[in-house]
Amino acid sequence: MSEASIERLKSKTTLKDILEVATEFERTARDFYAALAPKVQKNLRYLVQELAEEEQRHYDLFTQMAERDDLEQQLQTEVERPVNDHKFSDCIHLPDLGEQPDDQAVLQYALKREHAAMEQYHSLAQSTEPGAIHDLFLYLANEETKHKNELEKVYYETVHSGGV
Amino acid sequence: MSIRDVLSPFTAWKNLFRDPVTIADPLNERPGAARYRGFHKNDMDKCIGCGTCETICQNGAIDMLPVSGVPAKLGDSGLRPRIDYGRCCWCALCVDVCMTGSLTMSNEYKWVESNPDLFRFTPGVDKKHWDNAELGYQRHAEKHLTPGERVEMPELEPAARIGSFTEIVDGYSIEQAKLEADRCVSCGLCIATCPAHMAIPDYIKAVRDGDYERGVQLLYETNPFSQVCGRVCTHRCEDSCAARHEGDPIAIRWLKRHIIDQVPQEKVLELIGKPAAPTGKKVAIIGAGPAGLTAAFDLARKGHAVTVFEAQAAAGGMTRYGIPEYRLPYDALDKDIAVITAMGVDIQYNQRVGTDIAMQQLQSDYDAVMLAIGLHQGRSTRIPGSDHPQVRKAVDLLRQITTGEKIEAPKSMVVIGGGNVAMDIARSMARLQLQQHGEIRVTLTALEDKAHFLADPVEIKESLEEQINILDSRGPQACVIDDSGKLLGLKTWKVLSIFDAERRFAPQYDESDEQIHEGEMVVEAIGQMADVSLLGNELTEKLEWNRGRIQIDSNGRTSENWLWSAGDCVKGPDVINAVADGHRVAISIDSVFTQQEAKS
Amino acid sequence: MAYQPDRSQYPQKKADGTLDIDLASGKYLKLWQGPQHPGITGNMAIELTVCGDEVVEGKTHVGYLHRGFEKLMERRTFMQCFPIVCRICVPEPDFNEYCYAAAVEELAGLEVPELAHWIRTLILEMGRINSYLMYLGGQAGAFGQGVIGQWTTYVRDLMLDRFEELTGARIYHMFIIPGGVRDNLPEGFAARMETTLQEIESTLGDVERVMFHNAVFKKRAVGVGIIAPELLDSYGITGPNARAAGVAKDVRKDQPYLVYPELDFEAVTGKDSDIYTRADVRRRDLLLSIDLIRQILVKMPKSGAVMTKLPNVLHWKIPRGETYIRGECSRGEYGYYLVTDGSGYPRRVNVRGPSYTHSIALFERLVVNANISDVAALLVSLHTYPPEIER
Repeated sequence: MSEASIERLKSKTTLKDILEVATEFERTARDFYAALAPKVQKNLRYLVQELAEEEQRHYDLFTQMAERDDLEQQLQTEVERPVNDHKFSDCIHLPDLGEQPDDQAVLQYALKREHAAMEQYHSLAQSTEPGAIHDLFLYLANEETKHKNELEKVYYETVHSGGV
Repeated sequence: MSIRDVLSPFTAWKNLFRDPVTIADPLNERPGAARYRGFHKNDMDKCIGCGTCETICQNGAIDMLPVSGVPAKLGDSGLRPRIDYGRCCWCALCVDVCMTGSLTMSNEYKWVESNPDLFRFTPGVDKKHWDNAELGYQRHAEKHLTPGERVEMPELEPAARIGSFTEIVDGYSIEQAKLEADRCVSCGLCIATCPAHMAIPDYIKAVRDGDYERGVQLLYETNPFSQVCGRVCTHRCEDSCAARHEGDPIAIRWLKRHIIDQVPQEKVLELIGKPAAPTGKKVAIIGAGPAGLTAAFDLARKGHAVTVFEAQAAAGGMTRYGIPEYRLPYDALDKDIAVITAMGVDIQYNQRVGTDIAMQQLQSDYDAVMLAIGLHQGRSTRIPGSDHPQVRKAVDLLRQITTGEKIEAPKSMVVIGGGNVAMDIARSMARLQLQQHGEIRVTLTALEDKAHFLADPVEIKESLEEQINILDSRGPQACVIDDSGKLLGLKTWKVLSIFDAERRFAPQYDESDEQIHEGEMVVEAIGQMADVSLLGNELTEKLEWNRGRIQIDSNGRTSENWLWSAGDCVKGPDVINAVADGHRVAISIDSVFTQQEAKS
Repeated sequence: MAYQPDRSQYPQKKADGTLDIDLASGKYLKLWQGPQHPGITGNMAIELTVCGDEVVEGKTHVGYLHRGFEKLMERRTFMQCFPIVCRICVPEPDFNEYCYAAAVEELAGLEVPELAHWIRTLILEMGRINSYLMYLGGQAGAFGQGVIGQWTTYVRDLMLDRFEELTGARIYHMFIIPGGVRDNLPEGFAARMETTLQEIESTLGDVERVMFHNAVFKKRAVGVGIIAPELLDSYGITGPNARAAGVAKDVRKDQPYLVYPELDFEAVTGKDSDIYTRADVRRRDLLLSIDLIRQILVKMPKSGAVMTKLPNVLHWKIPRGETYIRGECSRGEYGYYLVTDGSGYPRRVNVRGPSYTHSIALFERLVVNANISDVAALLVSLHTYPPEIER
C-alpha cells in the first residue's frame, strides 16, 4: 500500500467507500498474481494461482460485505474476534521477484505484502476515533492477518521440511 | 463304644437356636472380592487391537473383530477383542498379556440375559453395567508374561567415536539378538506401518529360530536395502510396536541388520537366485538411490534390461552422499548395491541427465523411464547475509565429505536446523574440527523446541554426547558480517511458541532475547528440494504437478505415460518409503510391459 | 468288633480262579451304582454283583468325565496349559497348578522367588482343608448323616471366601502360575484367615462330637473296609489311606518340597485301617493344616517378588527334558510327569491322581464281601475324585 493509497483511504468517510477502496486493492493484488502465474515454472504455478484465488476470495468477501444492510452490526461482531499476529521467522524482506521467481521467493513476497497491508490497516484503525470506521479498519487488518498466518504455514511446510 | 457315643450326637441340637448361615438373597448383596476375575472391561482409549489376548486364549474365546467407529490407524489395528462367555474360563491370561493394560476384569459376576448370543460381546464397545466397576482383577504392576526391556545395543562411547567416522553401532551378538527377538509378540502392527510392509514378525521369528537364511529370504522379498535400512531406517515400525506401550519397542531395525550381518554375501546371492530370462524390454532409471535401485532390482529380476544413470561417481544417492559414514559405512551400502548389480543392473556413473544425456534421448531409447532423483538441493533461509560464501548448505557439505574433498573445518560454526540432516552435518563437522583444530565448537540452532525436534531422539542424545551445543527455540534473523566482509556468526531471536493449536506453523518471538552465536561458518540445514531442471521447460510444462512435486498416480506413473517417478523427489525424504516406492513403480512398469506383450 | 474276612463261601471259584457266577441261577443280581447316584463321588459307576445283600464282585467303570486334558496340553503352549490343569481335580485344583508349574520351572531352569514358595504352600494347605471338609460331609452322608455336610459346606464356603480374596476365584484359582504366583496376599488377609480357621476349628469340634463320637457312625464304620498294610505298596496306596494303616507316608515329610522343611509338623497316622480310622486321620490332618497355615502366616516374608522373569510366553520353548514332580494332596501322592522336546509345547504330560490307584484296583478288591449298604461309604472312605482318574 503506497502513501497515496493510505491518503486515499484516510479521505474516505463512509464504510462503503472504504470497503470499495480496500476491494480495489485486493483486485490489484489478484491481477498481479494472475499475471505472474504464467511466468513462473509450471511446478510452482500452483502457489501463485493459490495466492490469486485467495485475493479473489477477499475481493468477493469485501464486495458482499459492502452490499449488506447490517454492515455496521456485522463489523461489530467481526472486530470482537481479533487474530493474533506474530513476527515471521526468517525476517522476511521483500525480494525482487524477477522474471522467474522460485517458490520461496513467491512466498516471501506474498508474506511481506500481507504483512504490510496488515500493519497499514492497523495504523489506520489507530488513527480513527472508535466507531464504525475504526471497526472496519480493524476488520480489514484482521483479514490480512488471517491470510498472512495461512501463508506462514505454507512457507514452513515448503521451506522447513526438516531435512530428515 | 461308650455311653458318650450315644449322647454326644445330641449336641447337634444346639443348632436349633442358631441363625441359619444361608443368606436369603446373596447375589444382590455380595460384591466379588477386589481381585475377583469377573466380567471383562476394555479401555477403548488404550486398546490398540494387537490381539495378544486372542493369541494367548487357549479356549479360543477371543476373536479380534472390526468395530464401527474404531478406524485402523498407525499402531492400532482397529480390531477389538470380542469375548465368548460360552468359552471363556476366566483365567485372565488375556489380562496378564495385554500389551497396553487396556483389558481388565471387573468384580461383577451376575449377568442375566434371555438371548444366549448376547454372552458373546465386545468389552468396552458393548456397554455393560460393570464398565465403571472400581474393583476387579488387574494385571500385576510388574508385567510378567512378556519382557519389557530392550536388549541394549552395544556402541562406541563418545570419546572413542568422536575422533573418526568409524561406525558407532556394533550390532547385536547372536545371543543378544535372540533375547531381543524373543520379546516380539508377533502382532504385526509394524507390518501395516512399514511403507514396504516388510514381514517383520516372520523375520524376527527367523532370528529366534536362528534361521538366518530364511531371514535373508524374507528381507529380500520386500527390501533389497537391508544393510542400509538395518542401520538408518527411520523405523516408524517401532513407533507402532505393541511393546512400546509398557516398555521399549522391539529393536526391529537392529534385528534386520543382525540378520543381514550373519549371512555372507555369496550366500545372499545364492539365496535370492538368478533373475528371469531376458524379456527384451529396456528401462532407464535416473538416480541410483534407494528408490531407483529398488525398482532396478525388481525389474532386473523380471528379466528386463535396466540402465541406471547416476550423476555422482558412486551409487546410493542420499544414503551415500547425505548420511555420514559413522551411521552407515560405505562398505555396508556397497554390499546392498553389489547384490543389485549382480542381477545385471547396469549403473552408468557420472552421467547427469539433462547435461550429459537428454531426457528426450531416454524417452526414445527406452521402453520406460523412471525418475528417482531425490532431494539434493539445500534450502536457504534467505535471511540477510545468507549469500555470504561461508554460509553453506548442509547437503553440499555432506556430499563433499563423502567424495573425500578436503574441507577446511572452521574453528567455530553454527548450524541452522533441527532435523537429522542438521545433526549429521553438525556431528560430521565436529569430527573434522577435532581432527584439524583439536577442539569442537559447533552450535546448532533450531526453530523448534526440544519436544518438537524433527531429528530422532537418539541423534539428539548422541549429538549432545559429542559436545554439539544444541540451542532450541531460536529463530534465525541474520548472518552477522563485519565491515571487512568476514562472517562473525548468526543472530537469532527467542521463539516463544512455534505451532498453533492445530500444530501448524505460527511462530511467536521474543525480540528482546537476541543472541549472536559465534561462527566462522554458518550451515543451513532446514530442508531440501528436488532439482527438476533436468526435465527442461517443455517437459515441465507437459507434466502435471501437485504442489510443487511431479504428480504421480498410486503406481508412481506421471501424466506422461512413458515416465514414472519415485522416492524422495515425489514423496519426501525417507529411505524405506523410497524402497516401497521403487517396488510400486517396478510393478507398474512390468504390468505395462505385460499388457504391451499381450496386445502385440 | 472284629472284622470277619470271607463271610461268604459262595460263589465257587472256577478252575482258572475266576468266580463262577451264573446269573441265570437267580442267586445273583447285577446292580449298577452310578454313574448318577448319590452314593458315588462324582461321575463314575460301580457294577455290583450281589448275592442277597452281600457283594460278590464289583467292577468300576470310569470315563464318564473324560475330557482328554493330557492330550489337550500337547497342543497348548506352556502358558496356555496353566488354565487347563486346575480342571483335572475340581475340589482340590491347586496341586495340579503347583505340580505343573514346578515341572515347567525345573525344565526351563527358572528360580521361583521365596515369597512365591510360601504363598504356594499356603494355598495348597487351604485347598487341603477344603478337600477334607468336603470329604467329611460325604463320608457322613454316605451313612445317611446329612447334617455334617451342611456344617462343613458352610465353613468350606468361608475358606472359599479367603481363596476368592487371595486368588480372585473361588473354585478354579489359577493362581500358581509357572514362574511364581500371581500376587502377594491382600491387605489384612492373615487376620481374616485366623477368623476363618477358628470357625473351622469350632465346626470340627461339633463334627467330632456328632460324627466321630457317635454310636451309629462307629457301628457302621469301625472294622469295615480294612486295607491290609501289606497291600499298600503293591496297590500304590498313599496319603491318608496309607497313614490310617499305620504307615507314615507323607510326601511333605518324605520328599519335602516348597517350604515344608521350615514348618514344624509330624505325619498324622492311625492304626486300624478301617473307614473310621481313615475318617479320623483326615479329621486330624485337617487340624494339622490349620496349624500349618498359622505357621506359614507367621513365618512367611511379608514382601518381595512373587514372580520370576519369564521369557515371552507367547513363544516359550523349553529344552528337551523330563521330570516328575510330586506333592502330598488330601488323597495322597499327586504327581506330574512332564516331557519336553525343545518345542513350544509339552511332548507329554502324565498326571498321577491318587484316586486312580485307590478307586479302581483297590476298591474292586475291598468291595468283595462288603454289605451292599456299605459300598457307598467304602468308596467315599478311599476319597475318590473321578476327574483325576480320567485326565
